[in-house]
Amino acid sequence: MLKVALSGLRTNKVRLALTSFAIVIGVAFVSGSFVFTDTINARFDALLGDISAGTDVYVRAMDPEFGNDFGQILLSMPEETLADVAAVDGVAEARASIDGIAQVIGKDGEPLGGQGPPTLATSWVDSPRLSPLRFKDGNGGPPVGPGEVALDVGTAEANEFAVGDEIGIQFNGPVETFTVVGLASFGEEDNLAGATLTIFEFSEAQRLLDLEGRISSIAVAAADGVTPEQLVERIEPVLPDDVIAITVDESNAEQSAEISEALGFLTIGLLAFAAIAVFVGAFIISNTFRIIVAQRTRELALLRAIGATGGQVTRMVVLEALVIAAISSIIGVVVGVLLAVGLQSLLRAIGAGLPDGPLTILPRTVIIGIAVGVIVTVVSALLPARKAARIPPIAAMTEVLSAPTRRSLTTRAAWGIAVFLLGAASLGVGLFLSIDNAIWFVALGALTIFIGISILAPLAAGPITSVIGWPLPRLFGVPGTLAQNNTRRQPRRTASTASALMIGVALVVFVAIFGASISASVAVALEDVFPADLSISSTNFTTGVSPQFTEELRASPEIGQVTALGFTQVRIEDEVQPVTAIDPRTVSGLVSLGASDQDLERMAADDGLLVNRATDDWEPEVGATFDVELPNGAIAPGTVVGTFDADQFGRFLITRDRYATGLETLTDSLVAANAAEGVSLAEAQAAAEALAEPYPNLQIQTTSEVLADAEQQIDQLLAIFSSLLGLAIIIAVLGITNTLALSIIERTREIGLLRAVGMVRRQVRRMIRWEAVLIAIFGALMGIGAGILLGWAVVRALADQGLGTFSIPFGQLVVYILIAAIAGVIAAIYPARKAAQLNVLEAIAYE
Amino acid sequence: MTATAVRVSDAVKTYGSGDAAVTALKGVTADFAAGAFTAIMGPSGSGKSTLLHCMAGLDSLNSGTVHLGDTELGSLSDRDLTVLRREQVGFVFQAFNLVATLSAEDNILLPLAIAGAKPDDAWYREVVDAVGLGDRLTHRPSELSGGQQQRVAAARALVTRPAIVFADEPSGNLDSKSGAELLGFMRHAVDEFEQTIVMVTHDPFAASHADRVVFLDDGNIVHELLDPDAEGILDTMKQLGE
Repeated sequence: MLKVALSGLRTNKVRLALTSFAIVIGVAFVSGSFVFTDTINARFDALLGDISAGTDVYVRAMDPEFGNDFGQILLSMPEETLADVAAVDGVAEARASIDGIAQVIGKDGEPLGGQGPPTLATSWVDSPRLSPLRFKDGNGGPPVGPGEVALDVGTAEANEFAVGDEIGIQFNGPVETFTVVGLASFGEEDNLAGATLTIFEFSEAQRLLDLEGRISSIAVAAADGVTPEQLVERIEPVLPDDVIAITVDESNAEQSAEISEALGFLTIGLLAFAAIAVFVGAFIISNTFRIIVAQRTRELALLRAIGATGGQVTRMVVLEALVIAAISSIIGVVVGVLLAVGLQSLLRAIGAGLPDGPLTILPRTVIIGIAVGVIVTVVSALLPARKAARIPPIAAMTEVLSAPTRRSLTTRAAWGIAVFLLGAASLGVGLFLSIDNAIWFVALGALTIFIGISILAPLAAGPITSVIGWPLPRLFGVPGTLAQNNTRRQPRRTASTASALMIGVALVVFVAIFGASISASVAVALEDVFPADLSISSTNFTTGVSPQFTEELRASPEIGQVTALGFTQVRIEDEVQPVTAIDPRTVSGLVSLGASDQDLERMAADDGLLVNRATDDWEPEVGATFDVELPNGAIAPGTVVGTFDADQFGRFLITRDRYATGLETLTDSLVAANAAEGVSLAEAQAAAEALAEPYPNLQIQTTSEVLADAEQQIDQLLAIFSSLLGLAIIIAVLGITNTLALSIIERTREIGLLRAVGMVRRQVRRMIRWEAVLIAIFGALMGIGAGILLGWAVVRALADQGLGTFSIPFGQLVVYILIAAIAGVIAAIYPARKAAQLNVLEAIAYE
Repeated sequence: MTATAVRVSDAVKTYGSGDAAVTALKGVTADFAAGAFTAIMGPSGSGKSTLLHCMAGLDSLNSGTVHLGDTELGSLSDRDLTVLRREQVGFVFQAFNLVATLSAEDNILLPLAIAGAKPDDAWYREVVDAVGLGDRLTHRPSELSGGQQQRVAAARALVTRPAIVFADEPSGNLDSKSGAELLGFMRHAVDEFEQTIVMVTHDPFAASHADRVVFLDDGNIVHELLDPDAEGILDTMKQLGE
């Protein structure tokens, strides 16, 4: 039986290659994402171990469970803690360091790093054992006084800074100028994943980072014979509240986990695309095997007639699938490794380089990759294989190929609708009920909806291709008529080929709708919520708007009203809540919060809180009082004094004064300003820009610029998603090629007849081409339908999170249909050539 | 009535090469008269189908010539041959004569439709009436009996008023009654419409409908009969077989 199965494989190498491609892509994404993240984790672990080699214990402020979107919250402790720790028995050496954010300004005057990796500042630790930093020969030395800075080698080289150069660095205020005195390495590494690192002398760092009298962390080396665990136990009693000691292993594990988590989105994204590719591939594999079984009906029946059991026939087909799966999966794993290498180069190209080191290919990666490929292929081939077993031996003797046993239309319709509704229900549960793991319900729902549509698709294939194909007979005569007819002769085949395309198109359409709806919602929100003329924000994630700038702006004669906003989080009754810090005295007229003037006045007078009316599940009464904990750990009681209803500002509004409590470095997320009376918008913007000269991190935008900016960012994101989803579409297009190539083998005689009675090659090609185009457009139409449905559901579900406007980009949809049609033409190139080159005589020769 | 529809001169056709070479035609020369019904007979492997294919422009000779009317086929490109088949040749094969997705009527009109030509309505009606398919024209091939399918194929072969119709075992897959009906219709086409027909068959009864039977054996014409009957053909076959 193995021999028969293998001979089946050898007979059509192209078919094999096309089927394999779908599996290869899916497996490559699965194994590629594992290799990529494993490699990154392994390299960072190695690097962490390297740079903390001499340290046994770290002392640092306790990590609150929340962070700030617009500026990392850095915690500190009193400077005296260092002396207390150093005095503990068993401590060989203890050194404090100051950590913070510093924006390096490049030689072109623009901030380095932008929206990418962090821009870190630290103090020089004068201990060869405890400092992770080294100065190689010729790279200068550490900063020893005011005005001196050392840079990491990577940043210096990338931006052409050398020892002795002047360099602009921005902290909380305007840019300050320093002299580069040294270029530091992390052990052997020149750079930390693209981050920029600036190193200052200890007390200079305290001054620059507004941490006078405080320190960020303490690195401790244990005396001989003292384990890190013992040392932690001894140090803990001398620490203030909210400051903890952890062993270096724990610290490294924590940081490693943080890196993994930060990379998590990438892994999940890659695996999601892998899942999509595998799912689309399953359609193609299943379709291919169905056609192969249909074509080999007589051969299989002959096997049955000479004594093979139905089970043996099934096993033979499954075996064939298994061989294809095994080969393709192995290729897939190899391609996956290459994919991981490519991703690394891509990251390096955008400035987030990884530490050097070997690729990490775990056995798990290979096993999962091959398992996915084999299981998906075999499962997809199972149904056609079972069908093969039902071929009666008599089929070997009869002339007519057994017509596919067709389930009755009503049964199919009932099944399809049932599956579709099940998917819709799962989607609804995931989107509209607040449950854990909602995303899985959404994904499963979408998947099930796709399957439901593909069950229903054969019913629609005939009517829809008739409608979209109606011009063909008029335009192209017989080839057009036949192309249209051929899409209808095997509705299941047409439908499942088109369904594979549907999935990719549906997801692209969904992404397009999602993006258009975000854009539209942002536009509406800006109009409704942000009547201010100008908005000032930082161009990167790690710095904010300096309060010093805000005061300068307020004093400018060209500028009227000014208010500052801070987006942050607080903990109330053990729940972390998104909040916005506002200045209730200046906010009116610049930002429409939907709060009454009286409520704002009460807020200002009592340092009160306003609660969002729109949030439903936990709404404290006006008048309720509770402890409000800020990200830096400061806790103060707050009373809810009123309500607001703009949903872009989180659960509560707190005052900026409260936000600033205990915060050494207050920066705002956003500053809104109006032009002064009689001053034009352009003049006001020019004035603000002039004031922002010493703050290169700031951008001053009009409302329409903000909108254009947002749209551009959304478009960029969509472009990335769409191009990844494009892969699913390429797989589907290969599916069309595969189906047509197989159909042509089936229709050899008919094509031979057409050639015999006078159809020229061009007409044959045209016939095949238009069949492909019809299938592609049918798939695109189903995809657009499914995509609109998904988009609508998701946008509705996110309505209370600021996605209030549902928008369909009709122009884009038309473009997608055109692309699908072109894809159809491309898919048909090979089969059409094949059909046109058929030897007429062989085609019509009677056995 | 002496005009020649097809002239074959010194036709040699070899398949394969080297030791595996098989010579199907070994220098066949023959004329096929216009307006006549000629049958080509011979045992399997005698070269009769090859001769038919080469005369119809479906296959090419290694040496020798085929003239269809005044046109020498050897000099034509694939495209010209295709157009020639469309305009001047009709075909009836043993099976798989029809396009499954087209109705009987569309199948009959297929060569005209491919050429983008308008059918001659009166002629179309005459042909359809003659094959006796009146009420089944809207049916798909799968809804027709084997005999009806072959009659549709015959009607298609005639509808372009071709210079010549080639039939390859047209009744080979039919029961005797359907076969007789089809052959009767072909005879009718020759008698009434002066259609030239060349038919390959190994069935003496089928060949007896022809005006002339040419016997082929091992790539050569070995005998011929005029106005044959089934018994005469059988006798000849026996003699040749010995």
